[in-house]
Amino acid sequence: MPDAPADLPEAADRRLGGGPFTSGLSVPDFAACLQMGLEPVGYVQGFCVMQWGWYGMNSPYRQALGPYGGGSSGYLENYQCPHGMVSAEHRAWGQNYEQTWIEQAWGQGFADASHRMIEEATAAGAHGIVGVVDSAERLADLGVLEFHLRGTAVRVLDGAPPPGGRPWTTYLAGQRLAKLIEAGYVPVSVAAAVSSVRVWAYCITEYQLGGSAGTWGGGPGVSEVTQVASARMAARQIAREQVRSQLDGDALHGAQMIVSEDEVGEGDQEIQCLLRGNRVRRFKDFDPVPVPRPTVRLG
Amino acid sequence: MTTAPIDLRAEMRRAAQALHEPARPGGSMTSDLSIDEELILHSIGWEPVELVAGVSLFSVPMGVWNWGQGEISSASTAYAQAFEKASQRLHRQCARAGGHGVVGVHIDRVVGRHHIDISLLGTAVRPVGAAPVDNARVFVSDLSARDFTLLETAGWRALGLAVGASFVYAPRRSIGTTLQQKSQNVELTNFTEAMYSARESAMERMQASAIRIGGSGVVEVKVTEGPMDFAGHAVGFAAWGTVVTLAGDVHRTLSPTMVVPLDDPTVAFDVGSLRGG
Amino acid sequence: MSDDPQELPEATAHRLEELEHGLFTSDLSVNEFLLIKEVGFHPLGFVMGSSIYHTGIQTRRWGQSQELTKLTEAMYNARELAMSRMEEEAAELGADGVVGVRLDVNYYEWGKDAAEFIAVGTAVKAESGVSHRNALGKPFTSDLSGQDFWTLMQTGYIPQGLVMGTCVYHIAHRGLGQTLGSAGQNVELPNFTQALYEARELAMTRMQDEAGRLDASGIVGVRLEEKSHQWGSHTIEFLSLGTAVMKTAGEVTLPTPTTIISLDN
Repeated sequence: MPDAPADLPEAADRRLGGGPFTSGLSVPDFAACLQMGLEPVGYVQGFCVMQWGWYGMNSPYRQALGPYGGGSSGYLENYQCPHGMVSAEHRAWGQNYEQTWIEQAWGQGFADASHRMIEEATAAGAHGIVGVVDSAERLADLGVLEFHLRGTAVRVLDGAPPPGGRPWTTYLAGQRLAKLIEAGYVPVSVAAAVSSVRVWAYCITEYQLGGSAGTWGGGPGVSEVTQVASARMAARQIAREQVRSQLDGDALHGAQMIVSEDEVGEGDQEIQCLLRGNRVRRFKDFDPVPVPRPTVRLG
Repeated sequence: MTTAPIDLRAEMRRAAQALHEPARPGGSMTSDLSIDEELILHSIGWEPVELVAGVSLFSVPMGVWNWGQGEISSASTAYAQAFEKASQRLHRQCARAGGHGVVGVHIDRVVGRHHIDISLLGTAVRPVGAAPVDNARVFVSDLSARDFTLLETAGWRALGLAVGASFVYAPRRSIGTTLQQKSQNVELTNFTEAMYSARESAMERMQASAIRIGGSGVVEVKVTEGPMDFAGHAVGFAAWGTVVTLAGDVHRTLSPTMVVPLDDPTVAFDVGSLRGG
Repeated sequence: MSDDPQELPEATAHRLEELEHGLFTSDLSVNEFLLIKEVGFHPLGFVMGSSIYHTGIQTRRWGQSQELTKLTEAMYNARELAMSRMEEEAAELGADGVVGVRLDVNYYEWGKDAAEFIAVGTAVKAESGVSHRNALGKPFTSDLSGQDFWTLMQTGYIPQGLVMGTCVYHIAHRGLGQTLGSAGQNVELPNFTQALYEARELAMTRMQDEAGRLDASGIVGVRLEEKSHQWGSHTIEFLSLGTAVMKTAGEVTLPTPTTIISLDN
């Protein structure tokens, strides 16, 4: 947990102080909450703006202007040109490396925004936050990434407050949350992480992606672009490992993985893999439903 | 297995209390299944283990999409090999995580001018508490957890994903010229033959891949086809489905009940219990 | 309907051979697969037929609304070719019928005055070995889903064939112009109404004639589709589709359906 102080805007204090609650819940979700004995307390949110510069000189992050930009920690794979002669433009070396500074910055932005949302909920005396929505919006002109987490703070009627008074959080709401509880899981927190892998193409990759494989060095026309395949596998693996490290023995339920790739020049790519889900903990033995009875509907 | 209705509020309070107790051992797993899917799997004694992925991309030689004749075999080969490689990686991840198979696989396919990309993502599952199995026995399927459960209940086992693809050029002589020579109300046999053939090819390759996997059938076959965005005269066809085999001797009938739902098309507020009541 | 032998592509022969040797393929969903098994049928294989047909016309501003008979014939022939190739594949497999038939039309940028008509479905066979082919001794075809097929069999009826009737109709420009004089008022446009009425009736009648040829008791699942293909909005094809059915021998007692209120949408 970051050491960010609870620096909520004054307006938030006023809004959460009392009076009718606002809630981000849809009507069915709201009704479902009441059925579960969850009393909505208020709409809570947290923001965090992180500097998100490109590879410019003013970036406070590690500059990566060529291969060997990777740090000493993290995924790293070197690719060496198999050809004998080398011209000035020939890309004799290539590298896949993990941009740990980007991953850390993302992690910090998410955690800070999450922390602030939780602070608002705590101030309102909530036990948990349901229906969390998260977004990380790039304001490219300003070179920033804005994290925004929001949800509906709730209190468990006649229920025990959470450990340390820190509300639990979940992306789920309504029916899905009800089924989760009935199935024997209790939500602990939302979990999310991003992995960032840079591909600095070497000659073979460049030729493969430029469609000229087979015209240089006698390579086969159809061949796996192993450098990029490796980087893509690594990006997914790293994201999963990072989220796993947040679970601390609990399970990740209802996960969602989103992979995006940006071309940064011929053959060069930046792969970003976002993995988010609900950290949940089993609180009672699984009592499976009977095998569903097959039916055919008329009309 | 209890059949009494559940007091949801009491369960919620119990859940809130449980956060104060230490976590039970062995509770770690990652999954992209919904809670409904998890419950359906559990009803036949299976559980999710880990979210697994397999990706690959194969390059296609330059100039391959320029107008030619017949099949664009390097594209067909690249597609098949990319799928094979991605599938192998998915298998390996599943086996390493202790899963017996992967269900609900999302298949993302991109056919680009210079390369063909395949991405697979799904949740590895296993019979509850079962020991890991050998890589060779792991299955992969794009069947949803629900369909997987239905088939298992009926006595069918999923073995793997069968895939076939073919890419062709539209016949060289443009339709415009051909039409000038013909009157209305007539079939264009060259073009018909080219497209029909390519579709059959893709289907045939899928079958061949099913035979290699060793099943007796392929269910939920999906077919996609269409011209390339970047080359309208090149058309691609793909067919894929899940290979199955009978676990025992015979198919087990399910005897479904005919029902007439009395629902009105409005959203119900009542959460109700999964066990009725 | 043409009597020419339908030559299927080479790739088909090999594919069908594999299916005859025991492998089955099916594009039915798992639900549908289980339901057809329930009524004693087993899938044999995915079958298909297609035809690329000339569909272009020279658009003229005809004074009268009328059927464009040559085009009607073309649309009908194209689909018939596609369907009969699909039926031939099914017959080759020894099937009793084809379920879940889908008719699609593809347009390609390199074929402006032509379109590809495709028919696909899953060939099935009764596990009892008793032939369920239709009155003409050919595999039945039906666009009924697996669920509807199951339900139909419960009622003691069996599909005979997918029947269709088509009519390509041109809506006159001049007629419209005259009626637009009264635009702004809520009146019926009698010419327009008449034209569309006639076109739909023609399509339906032709469909019923096909059912008659199959000795059917009736037609279920009838629907009417309207397409302009690539002709512009004044020329419309009216396509009427349905599944002709026949009563099988014997009394059938329908199981009483249970009424339920579902908890999920």
